[in-house]
Amino acid sequence: MGGTAADRGGFVRVRWVSGSFGVILVAGIVITVLVTARPSVPQPVAFNHRKHTEELGLNCEFCHVHVTKGAHAGLPDAQTCTMCHQAAQGTSAEATRVTTLLAEGDPLTFKKLFRLEPHVFYTHRRHVGIAELECENCHGAIAQTVRPPARPLVTIDMDFCMDCHREQGQTLDCNACHR
Amino acid sequence: MARWGMVIDLDRCTGCAACEVACKSENNVAAVSVEQADMGRASSWMKVMAHVEGEFPDTTMHFYPRPCMHCDNPPCIRVCPVQATYIDDEGIVGQIYARCIGCRYCANACPYMVKYFNWYGPEWSEAERQHLNPDVSVRPAGVIEKCTFCHHRLQKAREDARAEGRELREEDYQPACVDVCPTNAIIFGDLDNPSHAVHTLKDDPRVLRLMEDLGTQPKVYYLRPRD
Repeated sequence: MGGTAADRGGFVRVRWVSGSFGVILVAGIVITVLVTARPSVPQPVAFNHRKHTEELGLNCEFCHVHVTKGAHAGLPDAQTCTMCHQAAQGTSAEATRVTTLLAEGDPLTFKKLFRLEPHVFYTHRRHVGIAELECENCHGAIAQTVRPPARPLVTIDMDFCMDCHREQGQTLDCNACHR
Repeated sequence: MARWGMVIDLDRCTGCAACEVACKSENNVAAVSVEQADMGRASSWMKVMAHVEGEFPDTTMHFYPRPCMHCDNPPCIRVCPVQATYIDDEGIVGQIYARCIGCRYCANACPYMVKYFNWYGPEWSEAERQHLNPDVSVRPAGVIEKCTFCHHRLQKAREDARAEGRELREEDYQPACVDVCPTNAIIFGDLDNPSHAVHTLKDDPRVLRLMEDLGTQPKVYYLRPRD
């Protein structure tokens, strides 16, 4: 016999409660993953930093032209790439694709990988142009990557900035970065 | 270490309000509707206050441009529960929007009423959005904002001076209101630097400071109108 109606009611209630809890748990995990996961940054071509920096000996400023004078370092445009890639370079399929894209008039819009919060006012000029910091201080081994990283190699948060400012004896004034 | 301050010559001020407009433009200060403004919800980091003396018809009017006084003893920073407002080493009273929780204690503590609360997020037309100053935050709803002596200009000026390997000059750092004043009624500089005009002017016999008796030690000095 299956027990009294009251017992069965209790069993259904327990099953319903545990079922709901399971659904909420799964939904919570999915939402947490969606909220905390950083979106990957798609780039127009599979740019090989190592090829350009180590093998060809180009310095960062060659493509990031505003790095010593501007707030933003700047990203290369099609014109910069055309300087070398007007004719196919090397034997890789991607190099051939770059030449084809340029010939088709593709603007090759590279996307920013490292982004700061909008309430942070940072300038490359102050850090690279004046203080002469190395790029890898904040950007890690980006120059050695062989394909575009989906996510920043270094998490640049306030602790990251403050630690360096303390070590270097630089300003800790809120106004220096927040306005 | 500099101590930035301002001297305003009331004899020179014509009340044209160019300083108000320049300030709003420089600092992305949003406009509000007429109804909201009537409820006292308009922000004006620099406000030209009209002061009438005498009985009609023998009246005189003087204009008092009123920015944040950047007090050396600011009442606002004492009441802030999260240290979103503070005084920096150079005497500029800062407001850190990302830290502000919008309790409005500081706005109520300020005897000069120069701290403004954002009741709503700013609304900009597409054309206005194109002209926002990228060097200054656009404040969200729920935070207090105020005059900063255009300290973003100080940072820019200091960067320029360092890049050129020289000391910061008096003319390098001037807030927007000072830049546009057509009669040069507003003078700005380092109060402790004898080569800056404000250093001498702050000891002028005509000097007055608003509500000085409260002990706030404001760094905005007014030069009384001559009789």
